[in-house]
Amino acid sequence: MLNTQAKGLLLDTTRCIGCGACALACKERNGLPKTADVVLEDKLSDKTFSTVNQVGNRYVRRMCMHCATPSCASACPVAALEKTAAGPVVYHESKCMGCRYCMIACPFGIPKYEWEKKAPLVRKCDLCADRLAKGLKTACATACPTGATTFGDREALVAEARARFAANPGRYREHIYGFEEVGGTSVLLISDAKPEELGYPAGLDGTPPPHLTWRVLNIIPDIVMTGAVLLGGIYWIRNRRDEVEAAEGHHDASTKGH
Amino acid sequence: MPKLALPRLTFWRGVLLAILAAGTYATFLRVFKGLAGSTNLTDAFPWGIWIGFDILCGVALAAGGFTISATVYIFNLEKFRPIVRPAILTAFLGYVLVVVALLFDLGRPWNVWHPLVMWNPHSVMFEVGWCVTLYTTVLALEFSPVVFERFKMTKTLHVLHVIMPILVVLGVLLSTLHQSSLGSFYLIVPTKLHALWYSPLLPVYFFLTALTLGCAMTIVESFLSHRAFGKELEMELLVPLGRVALLILGVTAVIRFADFRHRGILGLPFAPTYESRLFLAEMIIGVLAPALMLALPKVRQHRTGLFLSALLIVMGVVMNRLNVSITGMERSSGEIYVPAFTEIAITLSVVGVGFLVFALAVKYLPVFPEHEMKDARPPVAPDALHVAAQPIRSLPMPAIAVVALAFVAAGALGADGVRRREVVPGPPAPAGTPALAAALASFEAPAEMTFPQAPDSPGPVSFRHASHVDASAPDCLSCHGNSYSFLGRTQAPPAGLMHDTKHCGGCHDGTSAFSVEDDCTACHKSE
Repeated sequence: MLNTQAKGLLLDTTRCIGCGACALACKERNGLPKTADVVLEDKLSDKTFSTVNQVGNRYVRRMCMHCATPSCASACPVAALEKTAAGPVVYHESKCMGCRYCMIACPFGIPKYEWEKKAPLVRKCDLCADRLAKGLKTACATACPTGATTFGDREALVAEARARFAANPGRYREHIYGFEEVGGTSVLLISDAKPEELGYPAGLDGTPPPHLTWRVLNIIPDIVMTGAVLLGGIYWIRNRRDEVEAAEGHHDASTKGH
Repeated sequence: MPKLALPRLTFWRGVLLAILAAGTYATFLRVFKGLAGSTNLTDAFPWGIWIGFDILCGVALAAGGFTISATVYIFNLEKFRPIVRPAILTAFLGYVLVVVALLFDLGRPWNVWHPLVMWNPHSVMFEVGWCVTLYTTVLALEFSPVVFERFKMTKTLHVLHVIMPILVVLGVLLSTLHQSSLGSFYLIVPTKLHALWYSPLLPVYFFLTALTLGCAMTIVESFLSHRAFGKELEMELLVPLGRVALLILGVTAVIRFADFRHRGILGLPFAPTYESRLFLAEMIIGVLAPALMLALPKVRQHRTGLFLSALLIVMGVVMNRLNVSITGMERSSGEIYVPAFTEIAITLSVVGVGFLVFALAVKYLPVFPEHEMKDARPPVAPDALHVAAQPIRSLPMPAIAVVALAFVAAGALGADGVRRREVVPGPPAPAGTPALAAALASFEAPAEMTFPQAPDSPGPVSFRHASHVDASAPDCLSCHGNSYSFLGRTQAPPAGLMHDTKHCGGCHDGTSAFSVEDDCTACHKSE
């Protein structure tokens, strides 16, 4: 399960005023170019790792959820994506061969690709792993003036979310998105609306998707051993019969292959 | 001096030349313009036909290699020996071409060897990478006797003959693993792949369809070799393969029915949607029609009937792989994917090169060894030759009707499906201005900050967000959007320059706000 000390973020749409500070602070920290005239109209891309958009009549952030059991890291054939003990899912770009299976696998559609480049890389939020290592908050949480993005230990954030539910009856749809979804995520979301009304994928259950794959991969050694014995045995029996036939002097070719 | 004779330009050679020319141009675009300049792939739809057809279908179409080698070497059905070599050659070429196609698709193809060194045993693709590498080596070894025979290297041949059973067992195991694992690729996306194709049984379906396809491709290849190289048609071998294909088709259909019943989606294929229409088309072409044909002995034993049945199976599996990788993934992606000209040109070229190399190999290597064919062939049943000589017009009427109906039905369903093609609606569009009262109550201006003091300054200056920000409508970006860092990275302005228009003086000019030259004590606090 999640390391309780792992850092995370609590996103609260009821506190967001749509100032765009988080998105701009993210660009600043990652040295990314401006990609939209109006910050609130920006879309996630290889040059934008975090957005805040108006969805319906709320302001909603999108960024990497930093899953406890990330599909991207499970899918990556070269272990270029890694869930660190500190919380962030980080990307070791020198390993990447560009198969883009992480993009297929991610249930939130987060990893983006540098399609225009001749040596493209996958780009996404890394939860400011270097800032966390220095004991700093993420750039977005540092910039947020309302507590719509709160940084902390995941366990403390869950407690904070429940405290907000308790202190403000009727303000929230009392569900912490990311507490159970896909086995838990380091980024949690609370709101008065359903996830699908916020543009977040709905219908994610508590099973981490990588477990669906591992169930099958895990039995490969059994398949190999059983298969080898079975096929070897069939070979032995089928060919032994020929040898016996040859030794006994049966040369009737028509009995072969039945 | 011997005159070099150019091959005669036939229709098919002309087609091949045109395809290869387009492929060369497409390769140029891929190399110099990157993936953006050569594909219609996007962040929402990152896998196109280079994965869906070249890889998923390519590997499946090469399944004849392990099916036939297992039949001959493990099950000891010697009569199939004459078709072992062409089957293994096709498989080997297939895998080499799959790797070539993969190099086009990979963003950083020069790192293609990484999975062999940088392990992630939890990744299906890691497992497939290893299996395909090992199996291609096994296929090369299985085919190598043909090359060694050509150069009469008897010692090497003997060694290979001894280890052949081990190679074949290894080949069958590796094929079982990666044929099924191509289906396992999609196990990780239960919320993205449409329920008609997403199933916990994906690996089972992929393996069973690969087996069926192994039989069907062997039949199709034999017919094509018969036409191209004048090889005699081994009807007494191919008809049993057709029966095996029918058996596996039936088993797969029963498993699929049970799977759908348990998941409670038996009615889903008949919903009026894009996905359901294409699913039905896949079932009609790939399962229903070939099963009906192969079930009729008269059709099964008819050379054209058998060929058409096998061709339907091949088409059905291709449709299945494209449905899984493209049709089934479209709705959740929110985009409609249509391959670019470049993607199609590369794909056709890969197929074309496959045909070309196969033809060259058959010409220069003993792929169809005459002595083996004579030795292995059991006594020909009197009517077998008669059967093999039947022309197409003698194909039983029901068979012609089945093929015609299947194509008409699948075509109509496909066309209706494409007409209904739509993507899932995105998040709701912005509606009005969000009510911010509750959110603004949480607004907390950042702490006060004190600037460094110049020697001639009348007193230190502190900047208070509270007095600069309208708490009822904070506009963070009016200052932070341009000059001031959110992360404290902005260098404190050199002492003495605060009155400058780039700093406090920019707004405190006497117009927007009181001037920096007005009242010193308004900002400079004396200690």
